[in-house]
Amino acid sequence: MPSIAVDQIEVTEAPPAVKVRKLFRSPQPRRPWGPIAMFLCPALFFYFTFIIYPVLVTFFNSFHILRQDLGLTYQFVGLQHFKEILTSDEVFWKAAGNSLTWAIVAPIIDMPLALALALVLHAKVPLARFFRTVWFTPLLMSYPVVGVIWLWVYNYDWGMANLVLRAIGLERYAEAWLANPATALPALILVTTWMFTGFHMVILLTALHTIPQEYLEAATVDGANRWQRTFRIVIPLLRPTLVNLIILDFIGKMKQFALVWVMTRGGPMRGTETVATYVIKRAFEWKTLDLGYPSAIAVIWFIIIFGLSFVLMRFLQRREALEF
Amino acid sequence: MLRMRLTKGMLMLPILVYTAFSAGPYLWTAIMSLRTTDEIYRSHYGLPIPAHWGKFYVAWTEFGYDVYFRNSAIVAVAAVILITIVGAMAGFGFARKRYAFPLRQPLFLLIFLSVMFPPQIMILSLFQILIQLKLFNTLPGLILVYVATEMPITIYLLRAFFAQIPQELEDAARIDGCTDWTMFWRVMFPIALPAVATTFILDFIYFWNEFLYAVVFITQQEIRTLPLAIQFLVSDQYQDIGMLATGLMIATLPILIMYLFLSEWFVKGMTAGAVKG
Repeated sequence: MPSIAVDQIEVTEAPPAVKVRKLFRSPQPRRPWGPIAMFLCPALFFYFTFIIYPVLVTFFNSFHILRQDLGLTYQFVGLQHFKEILTSDEVFWKAAGNSLTWAIVAPIIDMPLALALALVLHAKVPLARFFRTVWFTPLLMSYPVVGVIWLWVYNYDWGMANLVLRAIGLERYAEAWLANPATALPALILVTTWMFTGFHMVILLTALHTIPQEYLEAATVDGANRWQRTFRIVIPLLRPTLVNLIILDFIGKMKQFALVWVMTRGGPMRGTETVATYVIKRAFEWKTLDLGYPSAIAVIWFIIIFGLSFVLMRFLQRREALEF
Repeated sequence: MLRMRLTKGMLMLPILVYTAFSAGPYLWTAIMSLRTTDEIYRSHYGLPIPAHWGKFYVAWTEFGYDVYFRNSAIVAVAAVILITIVGAMAGFGFARKRYAFPLRQPLFLLIFLSVMFPPQIMILSLFQILIQLKLFNTLPGLILVYVATEMPITIYLLRAFFAQIPQELEDAARIDGCTDWTMFWRVMFPIALPAVATTFILDFIYFWNEFLYAVVFITQQEIRTLPLAIQFLVSDQYQDIGMLATGLMIATLPILIMYLFLSEWFVKGMTAGAVKG
């Protein structure tokens, strides 16, 4: 043990510091465990206490009934929660359907819109920086702020949405957007598009700037027009960025909670219930007062998110590999 | 030349339409924040003439926004300072060759993977843990959770930066007699300031705006943060649109004014988190 050697030197010989230094400079330096612990331990403390340990506790809880009114005492029930969720919990399936719809529809709307805006800004229009700054702003607001603003936008009598429809002569399409189960979810999806399109646009714009100009010049020499250059060269080169953004958008929407909580609380008729809001309701608003059952929902959803993200990644990247 | 002008003109149309869509709702709210609720009910799209700037004072003193603002400020500032120090140290420890040890790489991968964890997988047990630690319904409890949840992305981003700093610099500092501790604070941390600024902004905005953990872990009115307070005000007194609009301005203006001056940094910071789910 080298540490014993250091101790002995310090006890027996003076000045000790010199000898310790010599040990450090020996041909096989020891691992500096002191500094390693000093730099990593604070972060690892946070990480294991408030992330890893809670995740493990959630898995453990999902096999139990954990009544809040009985002092959180454990009653083991095995796989009972999972069986119930997957076979007979209609609210879960409704919520899962809504979350999945959101996660699939949002990227389909967001990405083409963000891409179109990025391409337009990239075409050196005047005031490009100003527009970019404005479009990015919604991302800096909290969900409750955005939620309240859009509650007003969707107001039937005086909201901006119906105001615009009436102004362009489409008043028969004016709608109580959040009160109708058929329009509530699309209305919320549009709000997240409003929030995130600027963000996606900025990242695509950065990627656009990295495309070597020579590629486009070469294509022009070969007689490609503007459209051909965009669709045959620019967009394929943006593909890795787009794939990243799609997966990111997908995961973000699978977790959606706050906007629903502020704007509709999952209504009307569970038309906007997401898995995240259902977990919180089931834990703190239901008479069961049980933390075990919602933990099981969280575990199932955790596995589904990771599984689908992995499938999506595989699917999108394989197609990419085939094309190049 | 004319043709080029024409295409530019045609490009401007979708840009202006999208800009109206993007900025319209917030500008409308900003205008309402300067009008009384009576004025708003008479006409929802009137201009703020005269502008009731006093509403900000009323919101601040009579509607509790001074308390909510203070709570948000305490949480965001404390959490961002803590995470910047702890995250930078960990990013450095994970980045440099000198501190390599077996399983360091798998450990880092685990941390990176948890960037994608949905909060639901932790929140119910965190609720339970905070109660056990007597930190439920306290701002320190919320701060600790915030620091932990942003830790993976912060470490990931700072590690990437520290890994690029050339080895010669580290060697030179060591020859000049730096210990690991002084080397980090006197040499490495100052060099990493641009990267630290990006994570600082990313984390601060996340802490300022966070809602899910706050809504579960804070039930007392006196320690509500701004996002939480707004959610309660919209369900309690939905009719007082004018005052709520003023509250929305109080909650967003600090960030938006800073954004006005440092927009490049903000855009950089927010998009640096693009690996985050």
